[in-house]
Amino acid sequence: MILANSLFTRLVRLSPNIMMTIIAVPILGGLLGVMLPAMGWLPALETSEFGWHGFKQLFDTPGIMSMVMLSFTTSLISTLLAFMLTVLILASYFSSPWLTRIQRLLGPILVIPHAAAAIAISFLIAPSGMLSRLMSPWLSGWNSPPDWLYPHDAMGLSIIIGLTIKELPFLLLMALGVLAQPGIGNSLRAQHRVALSLGYSPMTAFAKVVFPRLYPYLRLPILAVLAYSSACVEIPLILGPNTPPTLAVAIMQWFNDVDLSLRIKASAGALLQILITLALLAIWWLSERLVKRFSVNALTNGKREYADPLWQRMTQLLTLLLLCVIGLSLFGMLVWSVAGFWRFPAALPQQWVSMHWQSALVQMHTPLMNTLLIGACSTFLAVVLTLLVLEAEQQRGKKLASLSSVIIYLPLLIPSITFLFGLVWLQEQMHSRNAFINVVLAHLLFVLPYVFLSLASSYRRLDPRYSTVAASLGATPAKIFCQIKLPMLLAPILIAIALGLAISFSQYLPTLLASGGRINTITTEAVALANGASRRISAVYALMQMFLPAMAFLLAWFIPNIIFRRRYRG
Amino acid sequence: MTRGHLMPLIHIASIPLRRRAAHSRLLAVLVCGYFFTGVSLAAPSPDTTWIDIESRGLDQEVYFHAWGGNPQINQYIQWIAKRVNQEYRIDLHQVKLTNTGEAVSRVLTEKSAGNHDNGQVDMVWINGENFASMAEHHLLTPNWVSQLPHFKLTNPDHNPAMTRDFGVPTQGMEAPWGQASLAFYYDSMATVLPPQTLPQLLHWSQVNPGRFTYPKPPDFLAMSFLKYALIVLNDAQPDSIKQRLYRPASPQAEAALLPVLWQFLDRLHPNLWRKGQHFVSSGMALPRLVGDGELSLAFTFSAAEVPAAIGRFDLPSSARSYKMQDGSLSNIHFIAIPYNAAHSDSAKLVINFLLSPEAQAKKQQIEVWGDSTVLDFSLLTPQQQALFDTTTLGQDHPDRIDDSSPTATPSIMTHYSASPALSEPHPSWTHVIAQQWLSRYGAQQ
Repeated sequence: MILANSLFTRLVRLSPNIMMTIIAVPILGGLLGVMLPAMGWLPALETSEFGWHGFKQLFDTPGIMSMVMLSFTTSLISTLLAFMLTVLILASYFSSPWLTRIQRLLGPILVIPHAAAAIAISFLIAPSGMLSRLMSPWLSGWNSPPDWLYPHDAMGLSIIIGLTIKELPFLLLMALGVLAQPGIGNSLRAQHRVALSLGYSPMTAFAKVVFPRLYPYLRLPILAVLAYSSACVEIPLILGPNTPPTLAVAIMQWFNDVDLSLRIKASAGALLQILITLALLAIWWLSERLVKRFSVNALTNGKREYADPLWQRMTQLLTLLLLCVIGLSLFGMLVWSVAGFWRFPAALPQQWVSMHWQSALVQMHTPLMNTLLIGACSTFLAVVLTLLVLEAEQQRGKKLASLSSVIIYLPLLIPSITFLFGLVWLQEQMHSRNAFINVVLAHLLFVLPYVFLSLASSYRRLDPRYSTVAASLGATPAKIFCQIKLPMLLAPILIAIALGLAISFSQYLPTLLASGGRINTITTEAVALANGASRRISAVYALMQMFLPAMAFLLAWFIPNIIFRRRYRG
Repeated sequence: MTRGHLMPLIHIASIPLRRRAAHSRLLAVLVCGYFFTGVSLAAPSPDTTWIDIESRGLDQEVYFHAWGGNPQINQYIQWIAKRVNQEYRIDLHQVKLTNTGEAVSRVLTEKSAGNHDNGQVDMVWINGENFASMAEHHLLTPNWVSQLPHFKLTNPDHNPAMTRDFGVPTQGMEAPWGQASLAFYYDSMATVLPPQTLPQLLHWSQVNPGRFTYPKPPDFLAMSFLKYALIVLNDAQPDSIKQRLYRPASPQAEAALLPVLWQFLDRLHPNLWRKGQHFVSSGMALPRLVGDGELSLAFTFSAAEVPAAIGRFDLPSSARSYKMQDGSLSNIHFIAIPYNAAHSDSAKLVINFLLSPEAQAKKQQIEVWGDSTVLDFSLLTPQQQALFDTTTLGQDHPDRIDDSSPTATPSIMTHYSASPALSEPHPSWTHVIAQQWLSRYGAQQ
């Protein structure tokens, strides 16, 4: 395509480079800022000799192997569980209206920040939690909480529950997003119907016909989930054991330890964390190969059914269980936020008060404004940049180079705990002292990939004939972009904005580190309070954390409805 | 500033990192010289210096990095912010830390990036090993405390505690702010007779298994409990050995003092909450567990938090606080100014206000914070002393917490007199105890 050399086209042509810079520089710089101390170079501590003593200290840490194993097992098992549940739910409800209903019920979980979800789940399964209260004393005979080790069990089962519940809706949403693309969705549904007419039972038909074609689209989201859960901090911090904790939690504690020399060990730990994450990704990729290789025969052996009714029943039971767990956790949070004193076996508080909301709302003003402002800035930048990059793709007539698309998803694949501490060092190095800008840039790192992920498929799917017709009528590229493409993409853009806001709202470590603690958001307050004395106040903050992104998504769903209805009426 | 003044700064940015430190120090000297020449010739007396500090510190922003886990203390700092705004038009912002180490980490990062004069931390609430660590790495401004007019009211010449932090000389790097001591509290519905001594605690936990715990080191409260136990368990030892606790830890001293602690913990742990296999990460979780009914006994450094938590329904109205008869660990907490603070003069004004009889008296009120003053009463005027009379002042306090349980507050007072104060061991012990604890109990599978 021949293009005018206007300001717009120049901006568009430049945008992929801007995007790569915004993502690659902080991550690579951040990694450098961790690698140097890991090798013993930390001039502020008067150590600038290169050596391996950081790693020696790391491997001398009592329980280091248990930490590594815990990170390994919890992330692998939870990802596997979330993946299998996603597939089971898709298979059982593939051609049923329940699929979208389940998605709608699980949708809210997607936007709940990890910290809030962990707080809610911890209240459900704790010895003095909702489950135990509902059973006591009439069934269990407990008049005071039993002394059992949930949450915080040494095996990490509580972490696995938390991660699975949190990651399942994400994978399900990604799968449904793929199925919603007319080209893929319609053909898969048609093939599924053909398989049914050949006598395959519904779940087997899904497994043999739909799944092999669906999986490649799910690979990246799954790897992102795996990478995230191997290095996530909030959930293991709130639900996990601490004798010893997972490696990521230990790294964070070492970085914050009074003993400054531990920073060398922490940096070495961060490098080990990267190795663990890479190893996990490699294991997943290898097992994928193996499964593919050994399942070829099963796919083509013509068998029509594998105890399908049993699987169907089990899936229904699991889905119900999942929804109950989520419902009860949310209910527990709501009750805590208005509870007076609530002695153990009582299933409901003795009195109901609004003082927690009142006192929290008074103090919430500044954090709330910060949250909204940072979210708005980083999301705005991310959406504009993504749209320009996607436009550049279309003007160039080819997709981004594979290196570029890997770079876009780097923040999802490289554990944030490994490069964030280095990023702070980098920002200091560049004398960037404006806390607000630092935080917005740090948020942008995590908002961009998600916004890109959610906008790319809609933008690439846009029928090129509209632009061609407009161009033949003499419209400039800028005009085509603003007056044809953007209005047609209103709904996906709004969803991307909502997703971007939700991601920005939920950031804890990037906000804390990039601002040097100077900027409080609802999430930093909520995590600080989750460790604090008052579960009631932390319930208020956790509910606020859920409320903000939920509002963003509601608006994103309603605005197109209102606009389009008006347009059709007019 | 004109363009010419900016040139040296731009020049500095292009100098390689290692040399930049030296250059900026040179620049600082030049700038200081530029500002100070007129003054230093006129009058070198300390009072004039304070007037300079006052005039330079007005109308600025100050970032106060302070642990933010206690709503009462946060409210008190908000009150301070209001007052310094009235007095000096200073905007005081509390940066709420979950762990003071975060501030230490921030200053260290700034130092390693060569930011030697525009740091983000203006003042930090600190003591013990955090102070020792910052002092060791030269991260604090030295010799400024004696400039504060109100510092004299602490009577530093006759009260060595005001210039020693866990036994380490403060060298004017930090000003005392308050003193606290370890208090226990219990749910009187769950246990009628709480333990009064450490041996009784062992026995009590055998009778009430799973109802007591302490946080995991290196949490501040965890270390306080372990140090309390260490001091009490070694009480029968000869003085020459006991005194080693107040000097830097050495392998011989460790061998003489620590074994009794590990023996005690080995016997205590099986009867702790979760059978001693899991320890909460933060001391802030203890009141929540008491509120849930999972624990019946816990401890805190601010006993005034107990009635406040009852008022918020976080603790049952049957909660009572008391002090152990065999002693309670006491320490003084301080405020320090990092070496690279951007607004150190304003920070000094704020800290001087923190040491004023007005602010100290307010802090001591049980419904505000209940933190003991560091001022020496004999140096105060009768009017100033009257400020500390809580019966007159508590009445007209507007943001007083509505205490739904009048019995809780008196119960704090009754046991206080019988408990001797135990002073903090040398800060090096904190590291030693935490390390050995972690290798003994930190990995249990």
